[in-house]
Amino acid sequence: MTDRATRPDERAPATEGVRRIRLPQKLRNLEFWLLLAACLINAGAIVLVQLGAMGRVDTQLVLLGAGLSALVFGLHIAMRFVARDADPFLLPIATLLNGLGIAMIYRIDIAYGDAGWQSAAVRQIVWSAIAIIAAIATILLLRNHRTLFRYTYVSGLIAIVLLLLPLVPGLGREVSGARVWIGFGDIATFQPGEIAKIALAVFFAGYLVRNRDSLSMVGRRFLGMKFPRARDLGPLLVVWALSMSVIVFQRDLGTALLYFGLFLVMLYVATSRLSWVVLGLALFFGGAIIASQTLEYVNGRFRNWLDAFNPEVYEAAGGSYQLVQGLFGLANGGLIGTGLGQGRPDLTPVPQSDYIIASLGEELGLAGVFVILGLYVLFVARGFRIGFAGQDDFGKLLGVGLSFVVALQVFIVVGGVTRVIPLTGLTTPFLAAGGSSLVANWIIVALLLRLSDTVRNHPRLVIDG
Amino acid sequence: MSELTLLVLQLGFLVLLWVFVFAIVYALRSDLFGQRVRKLQPDVAAAGPAPAPSAGPAAPTAAVNRPAPPSGGGADATSENATRLVITSGAKAGAEFPLGRDEITIGRSSDSAIIIRDDYTSTHHARLMLWNGRWMIQDLDSTNGTFLNGSRVTVPQPIPLGATVKVGATTFELRR
Repeated sequence: MTDRATRPDERAPATEGVRRIRLPQKLRNLEFWLLLAACLINAGAIVLVQLGAMGRVDTQLVLLGAGLSALVFGLHIAMRFVARDADPFLLPIATLLNGLGIAMIYRIDIAYGDAGWQSAAVRQIVWSAIAIIAAIATILLLRNHRTLFRYTYVSGLIAIVLLLLPLVPGLGREVSGARVWIGFGDIATFQPGEIAKIALAVFFAGYLVRNRDSLSMVGRRFLGMKFPRARDLGPLLVVWALSMSVIVFQRDLGTALLYFGLFLVMLYVATSRLSWVVLGLALFFGGAIIASQTLEYVNGRFRNWLDAFNPEVYEAAGGSYQLVQGLFGLANGGLIGTGLGQGRPDLTPVPQSDYIIASLGEELGLAGVFVILGLYVLFVARGFRIGFAGQDDFGKLLGVGLSFVVALQVFIVVGGVTRVIPLTGLTTPFLAAGGSSLVANWIIVALLLRLSDTVRNHPRLVIDG
Repeated sequence: MSELTLLVLQLGFLVLLWVFVFAIVYALRSDLFGQRVRKLQPDVAAAGPAPAPSAGPAAPTAAVNRPAPPSGGGADATSENATRLVITSGAKAGAEFPLGRDEITIGRSSDSAIIIRDDYTSTHHARLMLWNGRWMIQDLDSTNGTFLNGSRVTVPQPIPLGATVKVGATTFELRR
């Protein structure tokens, strides 16, 4: 059988009355103007940081930022050729978030007095360039997302290998307790787990499309929900064991929660059975409670969370100092913030990566944090919508999975910083300093763009009443 | 630079950020509030408001429904025996749509596969999907309902070959 429906062009002329709606220029032009606005806002943010922190304008970093804008427009131009019907909002949103992150990292650099290659902002710009080039490559090379369906099990294997890499002696690096990094000598450190989340989303989507019937059809009713048979629990238990081993061996609570949450949501979307979510959450919280009793670092996280303002906990090594400083920073920011470059976000440990949301909250205030959260909401909503409008099950699941992973990551980080949930070390997508996270999230952008292009690129029939 | 100028610039920056967010929300307003409804022809529009919303579209197509059941009481449409979807009444009567293996979404939204822009169709109205090889129709909680052979679709139902499916003022059937 041919790969039907992937080639609407060949079929469309054969059938009378079917035509494709082509509004490519409209969509891409909208994207162009939004992108231009995003780039100007980013430049404005850097200039404001310089005015606020140094009282003068230094054009060097603005020029570097302009180079980055050129690359983003390169992606835009590439889409004019290969993904004309793609969603016009994802790229401007990602660009703005990335730029705000760079401005804030630069602001921390000024406070620390870092410059040149010491400067985290310069490194972040270089990583952003690499990430955007990776996104361009993805959108140019991957012309149809169904190709990924063929590599379901390969991507599952890749995910496992990437997860195991940091545990390889000599290659893995331990940074502040978590063993999730790899490095070569002293040069590049990379978090392979960030890329693994994409591979896992592809694997889960492909696996669930192939096997969801057995997971959703049979089972017995109990407490108003249809529970699966014991023998169908296998996949859930495997992913649960995987995330528990991430907690135990890599000592990374956030990543474990991210992977497990991703699987649970995709399972729920694929089978539409709430019992999976109930079972999964029960398993995860059971595991987390056992871990908090037996593993010292998890126990410490819980203590810092529940009893943050206790002076003993605050002053203890690895105590709640960072968390409380972040909260003080946010409180200092108030409603409209201290203004870019005029707060003291550098008082909090790692203000440019884990705590960038607290730094931004201090200098842009609640009004600014809500803009950032609003941008994430729009990004994720577009992703869900791409999943919803998709015409094939694999694309639907992949779209939902990829956007949910961004949503969950934002929730885990922002929830941790604002003391809604225990603090875990994850990166804020697009904002936080960190190359691997940037590369992974820009590839997610490219995949969502590719999906949205295929969604719109279908044979259509238009009936005007 | 004076503190006041800086403050004004910072506030201006926040306003700019909000303007950006609202520009995006404005651009995707059709997502939030549904597609804009086209004005119907004056005579239909005059008849529209009088009866109950669901009765309005039902009346003109009742006549079309009558002859359909005899011809289409047969086997369920499957991926093997059904190859096309034919519009039998409405603005594009006679138009055909090929059936593949992908689901077909119907609604006013521009990312539907079959886009019906009239007063009676919801943004995401219904969808046709293959389930165990059979074509099923599912109503996506539409305002005015989806009708299979004249009865409202509440749960996903298999579509017999030649049976009349009605969405808004448009009817179609699946054929070999």
